[in-house]
Amino acid sequence: MNRLRRLLTASIAIAAMGVVSPAFADTKGKIYYMVPTLLDEFQTESVNAITKFMDDVGYEVVTLNADNKTDLQQSQMNDTILQKPSAIILAAVDFNALAPSIDKARAAGIPVMIFDRQITSTPSDLTSVAGTIEIGQVAAGEIQRLLKEKNGAVKGKVLQVLGDPADPYSLDIQKGFEDKMKEFPGVQIISLPAMQWEASNAGTIVSDQMVANPDIDLIFLHAAHLSVAAVAALEAKGKKPGDVMMISSNGAPVGLDLIRKGWLNVEVEQPLYAQAAALAMFADKVVNKQEIKPGNYNVLGLDSVMTIEKWGPNIKIPGAAITKENVDEPRFWGNLKAPADKIMPVQ
Amino acid sequence: MTSPRQRATAEFILDHLVWFMLAAVLIAFSIFVPNFFQIGIFANIVEQSTFVGVMAIGLAIVIIAGHMDLSVESTAALAAMITGILFCSRGIGMGLTFAPEWLVIPVSLVISLAVGGLIGFLNGFFTIKLKMNAFIVTLASYIWVRGLVVAISGGRSAQDLSPSLRSIGIEQVLYIPLMAWIAIICFVMFSFIMGRTPFGRHVTLIGGNAVAAFRAGIKVDRLMFISFILAGAIAGLAGWLLAIRTSGATANLGTGMLFNAFAAVVIGGVSLKGGVGKLPGVYAGVLLLSSIHTAINLMGLPAHYTQVILGLLVLAAVLLDTLKIQIRQRFA
Repeated sequence: MNRLRRLLTASIAIAAMGVVSPAFADTKGKIYYMVPTLLDEFQTESVNAITKFMDDVGYEVVTLNADNKTDLQQSQMNDTILQKPSAIILAAVDFNALAPSIDKARAAGIPVMIFDRQITSTPSDLTSVAGTIEIGQVAAGEIQRLLKEKNGAVKGKVLQVLGDPADPYSLDIQKGFEDKMKEFPGVQIISLPAMQWEASNAGTIVSDQMVANPDIDLIFLHAAHLSVAAVAALEAKGKKPGDVMMISSNGAPVGLDLIRKGWLNVEVEQPLYAQAAALAMFADKVVNKQEIKPGNYNVLGLDSVMTIEKWGPNIKIPGAAITKENVDEPRFWGNLKAPADKIMPVQ
Repeated sequence: MTSPRQRATAEFILDHLVWFMLAAVLIAFSIFVPNFFQIGIFANIVEQSTFVGVMAIGLAIVIIAGHMDLSVESTAALAAMITGILFCSRGIGMGLTFAPEWLVIPVSLVISLAVGGLIGFLNGFFTIKLKMNAFIVTLASYIWVRGLVVAISGGRSAQDLSPSLRSIGIEQVLYIPLMAWIAIICFVMFSFIMGRTPFGRHVTLIGGNAVAAFRAGIKVDRLMFISFILAGAIAGLAGWLLAIRTSGATANLGTGMLFNAFAAVVIGGVSLKGGVGKLPGVYAGVLLLSSIHTAINLMGLPAHYTQVILGLLVLAAVLLDTLKIQIRQRFA
């Protein structure tokens, strides 16, 4: 009987220790991360980064994947609001369609942070972006440089391979790129979308265009994984690294590998780690509804600017152009070396 | 009153209508689309038909047998991802190698076929043995197999496929890419199997009237089970080719191909009711779709038009199928 009592007491003690274990005791609350898809490496790594950085500042992260479906993400938002989390991080499938869900969450007292895909049509509590339009602009600058180096002036033929034509992310990059190229009428841009961001569709486009327009100087692809298929198509046409200049965006590991092999000239990086770290730095302020002050902040070594926009506090982190010279720097998320140092909350 | 000669001519045209449509479309594009009329573009069309074409063979066999297989796209993606993980050297690739190096070709092919065959076996088991609805069973497979692709890859990609495998995606024979030859050989082989062997004839009979086939002594369940396994294995082959084409695999590889394969099957004259259809027609359907995709690429039209045209083409194909039956009745 005594043995049974001791066993029971020990079980209760172990259970109690579990309840008040440091992991539970230190958690300030749950934050839901609404990831648009897990079918690309940027989003997959964003889950790891956000989970790690939020853990650094004391929050537990629950991730919900919307499989690129707007209606599913709206349902997930509704379900999440009922869970009353400390905050929601949203990387929207569709920038505008999720605006009512953001309003609903905030009306229920749940702060909403926007990650990567900027939503300007409704207020939110913090936005952390590199800026998709800016990515297009950075790419345009690099393309101008490369065309000038090759042709002596900013002129030539550029094939732009977009992502899915229904994805505002790709359309924004296109806008930023084309706006900045307007001042160079000597550059002919052929724009075609790779439906559903599917790599073999990009390969098909490149394959056709290299036959129809063999004088293409440069190919600009809106995601690094598309450039893998583009390279395969170029190889099949007997091309060697450097024969056709290439640029892609987002900074995924595949893109960095292609730079090392000489196929890609530039990869325009989205500073994934810094974008995720910025959310963690301000998480306490967002959750406790404290004021976020505008100004310059150092986010993982990057000079970032916090402004107060009509949609709320907005921190913009500069995207970088990755070339053969700097490709091995660990700050690029494509090297998959997440910063080991703990993120410190902004006081 | 029609003469036997008129009747034979009409039958020939009706039986090969999709080839006439393909010829008309190619002539029209050659005249009106700049840069279309050249060997390189025709080679591209044949090459781009490879993946959907191979996938459509298995799908057509199951449909002719009177069933449905919605899982072929995800099955191809799984085979591609496993090929990528095992034989790519970067990303999540393990970079397996063999001595001699060319052994990677048969080994990876057998693995892809086995992966596809296994999914087909599961589809067949639930549909034939447990008498579950094929549409639901294969829809479930479409979902869980794609989920498995994401799970085993962790959303990451595999790149840098073994050079021996990549050579299949680069080499050409008589101006036509080697991969396209593989698709053509598959079509010839399975056209022969479906048209000239007891297996093919029995599968067609089963699709037309399974009860009558059973009463005639045909092993209906066994042949339908084999059809599912074949569709899976052929989808595995499509995935293997897809991995070679893209020199690796991403988690969303092959997305959207199911609907293209379905469109090609229907345009190619395979009846969704089963029992009717020939594989050469399916190949013509795939070439037709690929020609349209290529023309839209060259014209620089927004890709949405491809989907609009695709949808209208499927509708036209079904309409023509209905008209064919009426015309045949008139000549009968």
